Amino acid sequence: MAPTSDFDESLLVQRLQNPETCRDAFGEVIARYSEPLYWQIRRMVPGHDDANDLLQNTFLKAWTSIENFRGAAKLSTWLYKIAINESLSFLEKERKHANVSMDDEATHLIHAIEADTNIDGDELKLKLRKAIAMLPEKQRLVFNMRYYDEMKYEQISNILGTSVGALKASYHLAVKKIEQYFEEND
Amino acid sequence: MENNDILSKINHDSGMTVPDGYFADFNKRMEAALPTRPWENAPAKRERTLWQKVRPYAYMAAMFMGVWCMMKMVDIMRTGTDLSQSNINQDLVSAVANDTFYNSYCTPLMEEDDLYYDLYADGFDPENIDFGE
Repeated sequence: MAPTSDFDESLLVQRLQNPETCRDAFGEVIARYSEPLYWQIRRMVPGHDDANDLLQNTFLKAWTSIENFRGAAKLSTWLYKIAINESLSFLEKERKHANVSMDDEATHLIHAIEADTNIDGDELKLKLRKAIAMLPEKQRLVFNMRYYDEMKYEQISNILGTSVGALKASYHLAVKKIEQYFEEND
Repeated sequence: MENNDILSKINHDSGMTVPDGYFADFNKRMEAALPTRPWENAPAKRERTLWQKVRPYAYMAAMFMGVWCMMKMVDIMRTGTDLSQSNINQDLVSAVANDTFYNSYCTPLMEEDDLYYDLYADGFDPENIDFGE
């Protein structure tokens, strides 16, 4: 799911930094990153509509601050950071709005997952989603990036600003908790 | 182990779906929804003229020339008052160093005061002297 780095990102960044080609280049950014970013967001927020809104916000934020992007970090890293910030802010707002604590969030998420109509109907996958929903927010994020996006720890580390060691430990713990969930809900 | 098998069986697929043609549609909508940024309407940058490109180098070269000229001027002025050995007339040096030459040509043989003293001692009176004019 993670975008491949086969293409020359530096050329795209150069075009983004030129006012004359920026809009066209950003169109290319949308085409290239809308899908991986959508899935990243969608795994954090359960519904398609919310993921769609957050994806729009992500690109709008990126577009309105494109002049601040100097190419020091990878374009994908920058976009993922925006998308993840949007997702976490959304979840925080949702918690406040529904007046639920982080502990109760899992139950809230599981209800939302069960109500989600945009699924392929595979019970095992649904069960895994529920197991992931039981994880703490940051652990869920790490698990999603590592398992579904198959990102390297170094890449996750660049996006989240956490050490590789901590990420490995977090992923390992997440897998253990998922195993436990499957055992308990067999 | 069994659950790791489950993770590999699921094969990194979340089972979530999107409506048909969602991404193509989203991309079009998103591109159309991008607001116009102020710098998009800014006049295009003019091509820099050759003089504009060369000007900083020309100024720098002029500055170095100025510094070089100043240093040369200082050097010339210092050379004009140079008392180093190479600029002294060696003939004059050896002549002054020669006591005989110095006594013969440079030291007055008689002090004028001595002469006047002798004259006054002999009753010389400048008022009454006749120079035969």
